[in-house]
Amino acid sequence: MTEVKLDRIGKSYGSVEAVQQFDLTIREGEFLVLLGPSGCGKSTTLRMIAGLESITKGDLLIGGARMNDVDPKDRGVAMVFQNYALYPHKTVFDNMAMALKLQKVPAAEIAQRVGHTAELLGLTDYLQRKPAALSGGQRQRVAIGRAIVRTPKVFLFDEPLSNLDAKLRVKMRMELQELHGRLNATSVYVTHDQVEAMTLADRIVIMNGGVVAQVGTPREVYDHPADEFVAGFIGSPAMNFVDLSRDDTGGWRSDCGSLALPSLPMDTGPRRRIRLGVRPEHIEVLPGATGADGMTYTANVLLDELLGADALLSLGIGDVRLLARVGGVDHPVRGDTVTIRLNPAQLHAFDLETTEALR
Amino acid sequence: MKKRPRFGLYALVILSVVISFLPIVWLVLTSLKTTEGIYAWPPQYLPDPFTLKNYINIFTNSPELLLYVLNSFIVALGCTVVALSFGGMAGYALSRLGMRRAGVLMVFILAVSMFPPVSLLPSLFQTFLKLGLLNTYAGLIIAHTGLFLPFTVWMLASYFATLPPEIEEAARMDGMGFFRIFWSIVIPLSWPGFVATGLIVFIFSWNEFPLALVLMTQNAMRTAPVGISLYPGEYAFPWETISTATVIAIVPVLIITAIFQKQIVGGLTAGTGK
Amino acid sequence: MTSMISPLDRRRHLTGMAFITPTMLVIIAILVYPILQSIVLSFGQSSIDGSEPYQFVGLKHYAALAGNDRFWNALWVTLLFTGLSIPLELAMGIGLAVLMNEHFRFKGIARLAVLFPWALPTALNTLMWRWMYNTDYGLFNAAALQSGLVDRPINWLGDETLAMMSMVIVAVWKTSSFMALIILAGLQSIPRELYEAGRMDGMTRWQEFREITLPLLKGPILVALIVRSMDALRTFELPFNLTDGGPVTATESLSLYAYKVIFDFIEFNYGAAIVVVQFLVIFAMSLLYILTLRNKD
Repeated sequence: MTEVKLDRIGKSYGSVEAVQQFDLTIREGEFLVLLGPSGCGKSTTLRMIAGLESITKGDLLIGGARMNDVDPKDRGVAMVFQNYALYPHKTVFDNMAMALKLQKVPAAEIAQRVGHTAELLGLTDYLQRKPAALSGGQRQRVAIGRAIVRTPKVFLFDEPLSNLDAKLRVKMRMELQELHGRLNATSVYVTHDQVEAMTLADRIVIMNGGVVAQVGTPREVYDHPADEFVAGFIGSPAMNFVDLSRDDTGGWRSDCGSLALPSLPMDTGPRRRIRLGVRPEHIEVLPGATGADGMTYTANVLLDELLGADALLSLGIGDVRLLARVGGVDHPVRGDTVTIRLNPAQLHAFDLETTEALR
Repeated sequence: MKKRPRFGLYALVILSVVISFLPIVWLVLTSLKTTEGIYAWPPQYLPDPFTLKNYINIFTNSPELLLYVLNSFIVALGCTVVALSFGGMAGYALSRLGMRRAGVLMVFILAVSMFPPVSLLPSLFQTFLKLGLLNTYAGLIIAHTGLFLPFTVWMLASYFATLPPEIEEAARMDGMGFFRIFWSIVIPLSWPGFVATGLIVFIFSWNEFPLALVLMTQNAMRTAPVGISLYPGEYAFPWETISTATVIAIVPVLIITAIFQKQIVGGLTAGTGK
Repeated sequence: MTSMISPLDRRRHLTGMAFITPTMLVIIAILVYPILQSIVLSFGQSSIDGSEPYQFVGLKHYAALAGNDRFWNALWVTLLFTGLSIPLELAMGIGLAVLMNEHFRFKGIARLAVLFPWALPTALNTLMWRWMYNTDYGLFNAAALQSGLVDRPINWLGDETLAMMSMVIVAVWKTSSFMALIILAGLQSIPRELYEAGRMDGMTRWQEFREITLPLLKGPILVALIVRSMDALRTFELPFNLTDGGPVTATESLSLYAYKVIFDFIEFNYGAAIVVVQFLVIFAMSLLYILTLRNKD
């Protein structure tokens, strides 16, 4: 069983803690994505699994065996690097065959396995070329092929698509999905791109400052972000945040009173102030001013940006600024007055101190 | 682009080239003159008669001058090979193997590289005398290696730092050990750095004077710069022989510089121009 | 409490140690140990072949140096030579670099020509110049006399002032190209956009040079200056081959004087004291160099 267990893993450089208390079990065949801004510790975590970084705290178990002190080559893992990391002085065949050669696999078997993998990835015609003679997408395929040839128990991907241009990235993303469907191997994938994370992952781990902020399926992290960081990180454009105070009647209002909510669906406890979160796509925009009642507000369009299918509106309700995402057809434009409606079920609220989500 | 009058530019260029070449050209002309031509009045600017007698004489009468060139060659080649081997490994350790206090070590190596060679002479002479290393190729090779290793380490360490580390990490994942990675990945990928560094070290060693002067006391073991400088004359310097020997001694350096100009310039200016 | 070092890291560190050991051994044997031994020798009395046992004499040699006019002269000559040649090299270097940054035909050949003086052995360069300086048969006097500029041969290397000047000229001829190379690399690393922005702002060519080029060249120029200063402070084969320090001691550098004390006068320990003083002067310079490099980052 190739389940990967990270038992309270940590990495510190001197007094700097790059990763703290990473505790997670990656299931057999699962595609796990580590997502977060640069410097959040996601790459360090991946490199600890690979054996390129030592683990300073906790235990790493792959298929039940402790791997902390095991050399990378003996962990049964293979890695695909961001900039491909192909040996520029060796042919595609030699690049893919290197690990097998070092394992002293018989030449005939190497040829057979490399040939098979090349076929799988459509690289058969390029085996005798050097990496410099390949396109970016082909190089990325060789890098993936090099990992596949070894039939590892776990695949590790370190931002494998971020060196490709936008079009190719979408294409390779789909190929990766297809490949994972076919090989069904346990995979850990590091990225800072939330679209990659949402589309590829069985589960996403969102990291911030060396700490795991949330683990969940793409649906869970989008619908129920665990804290303000995750809420702001997932979703594009980012979630709107407005600080609200409780008024005498038990309702909530923004500091100048222009945004007032009679009640909130979540348990706010004894808090007198909270931070409200609204996704731009969850703000319903109706043309014209219909007056405020309950969860409906009159807003001015301060700025409009057409993205194509959608348009972004920068809205002003008194001193509160909200970004809304609306359909691109006949959308309101700058200077218009509109009515917006908030759906209580789609609102988020966060504790101001702990930033944790209130349920 | 507008065409501006470029006479001034070309005049300056030509002047620079003439000044740079003048001593070399004059030396070559001297070596092609007869003894009478060299000391004639009015002075001969061009050889008249033109003669190769001085070159023939060196081969027949003063073979020690050729021996000097051979010695220089052996020492410079030996020094280059040892410095590149040791310096390559050290540079790799300092730039890639996560050495603790690598920065301090780099500064230490930079600092010792500035020791004046003459400061080393009293002690080196005594030690080499004791160890029987005076007048041996091995002795001067190791002394030159010491002198030029700091440069080598710095050059190669900064070259290695430009390689993407992922390739070495991929090699680790493929199952290579550090020695193997260095040998079969890093060296093949760094040969331009090795070539540039090696050429400059070769030139440095070929040109080095104080240590070669003191550590090679026997005439037969002298390197070209020292041997020619100390070439005995009866009354005055025998300029016809000296000029010819000098031409022979500088030709290898001129050829290397001409062929590898780009690499040498690139190596010399690496790190200082940024 | 510190955690155990992982075997993964230990293997890397051990490899690092193994890789750096040969270099450290050579550097210690050839550079560090001799300096330390020179310091020990300078405080004692011994013989060059070790036949007499070492005897500690304290500051005796340094006290003697303080009253030794020839030592002070050598120090002065070294500083004067450095002070005269470095500014000239810098001026020539900047000029050559600006020239080589222009586009013209046969640029490769021109660049090679200015590189040659640097690439050749100083000792042999010096011989070439000594031949041109030769009073009776040298090129300079031949040309000067024939053209009627002078009516008596000039004694280039026999006059105290002229000898120093002649030596400086050889140094400038040899090393301007090195300066030029470093400054040229600096010039070429200045982004074009800066000049284009300058032109948009209405800068004149001179303003471009003053406001953009010069400030951005400060780093490379400083590095080149200090490297060359240290070279000049230890100059040896140049006076050795050009004048042997003469006339009398007008061009006798510290290195040359130390060499003569040790190997001609066989005053081993006294020479070690001179060498230590020279080392201190240069070491102060090298510290300055390192501090400069540090500040650059």
